[in-house]
Amino acid sequence: MKGYHDIVGDGGSGILEQVAELRGRITDGLAGVRHLVAVGSGKGGVGKSTLTMHLAGALRARGLRVAILDADFNGPSQARMAGVQRALFVPGPHKVSLPRTSDGIAVFSMGSIIPESEALDFESAAHGESHTWRATREFSLLGEILASFEWGEIDLLLFDLPPGAERTVQYADFLDPRTSFLLVTIPSDVSRGVVARSVAALSKGSNRILGYVENMSGYYCRDCNAIKPLFTSSDSSALDIPCLGTVPFDPELARHCDLGIPFAALRDTPVGRGLDQVAQRFLDAL
Amino acid sequence: MKFLCVPCDTPMKLQTVAPPDRGSLSIVYACPECGYEMAMLTNAYETQAVQSLGVRIGPESDSTATAASGSTCPFSAMIPGTEDADRGQGAEPIPVRWTAAAEARLAKIPEFVRPMARTGIERFARDKGILEVDEQILDEARDFFGM
Repeated sequence: MKGYHDIVGDGGSGILEQVAELRGRITDGLAGVRHLVAVGSGKGGVGKSTLTMHLAGALRARGLRVAILDADFNGPSQARMAGVQRALFVPGPHKVSLPRTSDGIAVFSMGSIIPESEALDFESAAHGESHTWRATREFSLLGEILASFEWGEIDLLLFDLPPGAERTVQYADFLDPRTSFLLVTIPSDVSRGVVARSVAALSKGSNRILGYVENMSGYYCRDCNAIKPLFTSSDSSALDIPCLGTVPFDPELARHCDLGIPFAALRDTPVGRGLDQVAQRFLDAL
Repeated sequence: MKFLCVPCDTPMKLQTVAPPDRGSLSIVYACPECGYEMAMLTNAYETQAVQSLGVRIGPESDSTATAASGSTCPFSAMIPGTEDADRGQGAEPIPVRWTAAAEARLAKIPEFVRPMARTGIERFARDKGILEVDEQILDEARDFFGM
């Protein structure tokens, strides 16, 4: 009797062919992108999205053509930070054009489509039990976004990943193998421990880890114009990957994110200088 | 998933996909040798698992396949916030026509951004005093919004 692998095709459902066709469209869509970098952590609340946006700004200021894909579909924040919450998506001759920040960074974020008062929801044949299919659905959504939007000829596409060490690995599995990872932590043992797990998990695959950025590395006090400690850490759980720099916390940066003010406005601050240094080391690591 | 007619040792071929019934699909396969037919009946979780891949179930030319997957779009997803933004804002907006070429461009974009794109472009056209969207208006919109 024939076995599964003895039979060519799938009898007409075409499911495997359709999945392969989407993969082909994704590859075509990203053909003009020189570098793909996913910004992740594993830990939530460490400032992945903020760092993604302002690292993009620092790189843009150096003349690079940069785009951001906000892959956190359930908690999108790039639309607000980029000032494209009310963006218009216009169909081009072949693909959909992307909205841009005032400094020219192309941004896709579900925050441009779904108001902050609403949650991403999917129509489902199965009522409840969404844990059985939801992740698959979200990755097919990511695939369609990669295939349908006009990424064009650019130097860098940054993916702003959702939190969760397991999600970080799922993105590594799904994205092009040439996608590198930049991890973000804060100076706490708890955060470093979680990020270390992400490093361990990513190390099992073929994607390169560029290094990590220590965010909220002290806070910038504008009154005394000095960086003061924010966390006390034993530093016993140092990460075994290169550190690409540190960025202090600055309430002004948070305000800029809320209002969608671009990086240029922060350039001559300790935060801006920290981000600029990260940008340089990031480019060196690429 | 593949199906084999054991007596004939021949792969079975998909014949029809019936419209979903309470989340269940009825997919009929037949043996091209002996004509024996069998139906695969999915439960809602199995249906959803396949739909979550963003695929159409059944032959492309089979009109029942569209009904089976619930949509012509890989996203039969319902994503809130894509409704016509002009709705519920008082007076009905002046209707705007779309040329076939402009509609064709719109049809290429993912379904979850289509209503939003249509509304925004029609508003852009109305603001310019134009009541027909053609490819030139689409290009102007791209330039206007800095894309």
